[in-house]
Formats: sequence, structure tokens, C-alpha cells
Amino acid sequence: MNDQRPVNIVMIEDDEGHARLIEKNIRRAGINNEICHFTNGGEALDYLLNHNNGPKLNGPALVLLDLNLPDMSGTDILAKVKGDEKLKRTPVVVLTTTDDKVEIQRCYDLGCNVYITKPVNYESFAEAIKQLGLFLSVMQVPEPEA
Amino acid sequence: MPYEFRLDERRFNRLALLAILVGLGLLVVAFGTMIVSAMSNERATQWVRHTYQVIDELDTLSLAIERTETAERGYLLAPDPVRANTHRRNSALVMPSLGRLQSLTADNPRQRQLTAELRIKLVDQLATIDDMMSRAENGQLAAAREEFAKRVKVRQIDQIRALESQIRAEETRLLNDRQSVESKRRSQFILVFGVTGALLLLAGLATFALVRRYTRDLAKARDRLHLLNTDLEGVVSERTADLRRANEEIQRFAYIVSHDLRSPLVNILGFTSELEETNRSLGALLERAEKEAPQIVTPDSQAAREDLPEAIGFIRAATQKMDRLINAILKLSREGRRTLAPQTLEMAEVLGDIVGSMEHRLAEIGATAAIEQPIPDLVSDRVAIEQIFSNLIENASKYLQPGRPGEIIVRGYAQGDRLIYEVQDNGRGIDPKDHQRVFDLFRRSGVQDQPGEGIGLAHVRALAYRLGGFIDLKSELGQGATFQVNLPATYTDEGVPN
Repeated sequence: MNDQRPVNIVMIEDDEGHARLIEKNIRRAGINNEICHFTNGGEALDYLLNHNNGPKLNGPALVLLDLNLPDMSGTDILAKVKGDEKLKRTPVVVLTTTDDKVEIQRCYDLGCNVYITKPVNYESFAEAIKQLGLFLSVMQVPEPEA
Repeated sequence: MPYEFRLDERRFNRLALLAILVGLGLLVVAFGTMIVSAMSNERATQWVRHTYQVIDELDTLSLAIERTETAERGYLLAPDPVRANTHRRNSALVMPSLGRLQSLTADNPRQRQLTAELRIKLVDQLATIDDMMSRAENGQLAAAREEFAKRVKVRQIDQIRALESQIRAEETRLLNDRQSVESKRRSQFILVFGVTGALLLLAGLATFALVRRYTRDLAKARDRLHLLNTDLEGVVSERTADLRRANEEIQRFAYIVSHDLRSPLVNILGFTSELEETNRSLGALLERAEKEAPQIVTPDSQAAREDLPEAIGFIRAATQKMDRLINAILKLSREGRRTLAPQTLEMAEVLGDIVGSMEHRLAEIGATAAIEQPIPDLVSDRVAIEQIFSNLIENASKYLQPGRPGEIIVRGYAQGDRLIYEVQDNGRGIDPKDHQRVFDLFRRSGVQDQPGEGIGLAHVRALAYRLGGFIDLKSELGQGATFQVNLPATYTDEGVPN
């Protein structure tokens, strides 16, 4: 258990405000894992797939994904992550304003692990993030070799 | 195209009328010619008959004269009472025959002259013969014979014969003249007849050609109309598709806009909460400062305690309202995208359920709701119908006239293939100037003493439109209101954009 490596949080969120609120609430939930924030899909994908510190080459990660990105749809990123042999076990939490049933179903079909609608009501929002923190704190990512 | 078509028709009518008139005129001419020609023919025949009558009479006369003469001669040679008798019988025939001849030829001056001459000669001749005969009968036969021999020298009978043959020749000449006149006239008429016939044929051909062309034009126009009609369905479905596209576009727009508006709202509300949080710790700090070092607390810093929470409160209330409005738009757009599932709805049951679900609330406010029976059933989408009527009935129970217990009546009746449902209340009513406004999104009417965003009726109207119907309102302030929902008895998605 000691050699278990910390989980990196990859947050793909184009709205700086949302990103800040998410980060604040994650920290409030007592999660201190490193958070890598990307505001567009291209950079995020590059990090996920090619970066030395990225989850594909370096250890476990959790992806927080917004569906409305300026350069591509979040579902494309989801499909790429879940379609990659090494990345497909990486948990992906879709966190977005879209509460369209079809969209939600599509995300689950693509392999999304959790789908959270950003509530406008801040208390609910904070609560949702805290729940996510709880999920993170119990998440165990054993070494593939172990 | 319609202009050209009308002109054609007018020209055709004029030409057709002209052709008919010309044809009629020609027919009259032809008929007249025929009658005149027949009359000419008849006249010619009459002339022939007349001539033969004249000649016949002339023959009779001639025969009577010759016989008288012969009998006289015979008697003079051999006095025989038989011959005297013959003489008497025949000489009596002469003058009446001449009279008839004269009356027959009275129309011609030459014949009149000739017959007059003949009469003089005949009177003389008959008198002479009578004289001789009476002498011979009285025994003076020799004297009579002598007289006869004298008379033979004069050859009166030859003059008579010459006159007769003159009359005959004249009559024949007259006949020929008359015949040739009639024949010339007839040939003229035949010419006229022929020309008329040719013209008639021409007019007939022209009319035929005209009618044929017109009929062809008509057939072409009909074909074009048919094509247009058939095409009309295409045009309609094209327009329907356009409408559908436009509607989808609006729905998508509403959806995207409401979504994208939500995103900044998350920030506003989120950071407002953060501000509140910060303000709370700031307030605590201020309290501590007041206690421990009151000299550093300025009146300005009181703002942190009073103004900030107030500002935050307003921001929060406004944002929450905005969120509700956005949600309303979202709900409407989502409702518009829902697939409708028409089914037979027993309205008595559907409406009964709605009223039943509100029973508690109705009892609380002392209102009653009744459904008038019988109420017609319809084939439509259950959810949409339920939403329409629950909104209407709820509205009816909400806006009561103070001091008057609420009475809600729901009724329905058929009008052709449409069904009309009415929700009537005795509430506070709606000012006629607001009748259209109440159906607009976020618009309300009257005293704002009830919770709501002004979505219900907009929603109801959108649903009614989607079901192929519409909604109307009859109301006066303080007189209650009646909402009329007009729906097709059977919902079909043909021509209804969805």
C-alpha cells in the first residue's frame, strides 16, 4: 500500500470560474491531490496521451471533464480516453451543465464513470464536489504490475 | 397567367358569339334564298300551266270554230239536220271559249289586242255563218251557197286561223320569256345559295377551329392546374418541412441559450456564496477587532456587516430568479422536442384525475370543481393534454375573486371534426387588454399575489399549438374567465411541425 502513487486530477474545464469553484470545493473536501487544469480539449488530450507526467506514461489519474469546450466536444475526449488501451481504466467524471437525457446516456455509453450536472444552486454544487472528493479519497489505484 | 387566361376566355366568348351570329345570319339568308327559289320554281310551273291552259283553250276554240265551219259547209252541200245540229252545238261553244281565253290572257296587252281582233272576226264570222245557215234552213240554199262562195274568197277563216296561230306563238314566246326570266332568277338564287353555303361551311369550320383551340387551351390550363394541384401538396410539405426546420432551430436556440446562460450563473452564484463565506469570516474579524482594538474600526468598515450581506442577498435573489426563468425556457424547449404519442383519451377520466389530484387544495380554499357530462373523448397525447388542463384548472383555482367561493366548471363539445373544451371560473377575471399578453412567456396580469413565473399559459398555448389546436380566452375583470381549448378530435402529425 505504501508504494501506492498519488492520483493526479486532470480537470478539463474552459470556464475559469467553474474551475476555481471546483478546485476550492475539492480542497475543502480535504483532497490534496495535484490538479492539472486545461481550458481546451486539444491541450488536455495532448497531456493525457503524450505528456511525460500524463496518465498514459505516468501513473494513475482521474479526469474531470466538461462537455462544452471551445475547440471540441467533451464527448470526443471521453471517446478517445475510453478507446485507449492504457487509459480506458482511468475514471472519468463528466461535470457539466447539460442535463439532456440523450447526452447523459451517450456519455455512459462511451464509458463515463460518473455524470454530475453542475447545479446552479451553489450548495448543491459544493455538495456534489464534496461527494466527488469522498469518491476520490476511497479510490485505490494499484500498480498495474503489482 | 390568370390575366392571360381571362383574356383568352373573353376573346373566345366574343369570337364564338360572332361566329354564331354569322352562322345564324347565313342560315337565314340560305333559308330565304331557298324559299324565294322555290317560289320562283312554283311561279315557273304556274306559268307553264297557264300557257298550257291558254293553248288548251285556244285548241278548244279552234276546234269549235273549225267544226262550226265544217258543219256549215257540209250543210250547204247536203242539208242534213244532224249537221245543222252540229253547227248549233259548236257555234254555241265559240263565244264562251273566247271569253275564257280573253280572261286567261287579260294580263298581256299584246294578247288582249290579238284576242280583241279575234273577237271582232269571230263575231262577224259567226254572224255570217248563222245568216247562211238560217237562209239554207229556210229553203234559200242556193242563195246561201252563193253567199258562201263569196265569203270563201274573202278567206275570213284563214285570218281567224292566222290570228289563232299568232296568239299561240305569242303565248309560247311569253312562256319562253317567263321561263328564261325565272331560270335566270333561279340560277342567281342558286349562286347566292352556293355562296351562303360556302360561307356557312367556312363559319362552321372557323367555329370548329376556335372551339378546338379553346378546348385545347382549356385542357392545357386544366393540366397545368392539375399539375399545380399535385404540386401544391409538394409545396405544402416543403413549407411544412421549412416550418419544422425553423421550429427545430428555435428549439435548439432556446436550448443552447438556456444552457449557455446557466454556465455564468453557476459562477455568479458560486462566487456569491464564496463572498458570503469570506464576509462571514470578515464579520468575525470585525467583531474581534471591536472587542480588542475598537480604535481601528471605522464607520466604513461597518459596510462589511450591513451592506455586503444586503448586496449579496440581492445578487442571490436576482440570480435565482434568472435561473428559474432559464429553467422555464428550457422546460418549454424540452417540451417542444418531446415525441407525442397520440392515444384515445377518456376525457371524463383524465379531467377527473386532474381535479382529484387538486381536491385537497380546492377544499383548503373553499372552491369546487365540476366536470359537465357528457364530455367528448379525443385522440391526442396524454401528457400534453394533462399538462394543458392541470395548468388551466390550477389557474382557475388560483385567481379567485375575494369574497366569492370559487366555482370551476369544465365542459366540452364537438364542432365539426374539432373538439372545444372550456374551463370556466368565477374568479377575478382578466382585463380584455391583457388577453393576448397572458399567453406570453413571463407575462402575467392583475395583482401579483400568487407565486409563479408567468410560464403556465405560455406552456399551455405552446402545447395546444403542438397538438394542432389553439387556445382562446373570454373574460371581463371581476366576471370570471373562460379558457377555450380548440383541438382536433384526432391528432395527426401531418402538417403539424414538431
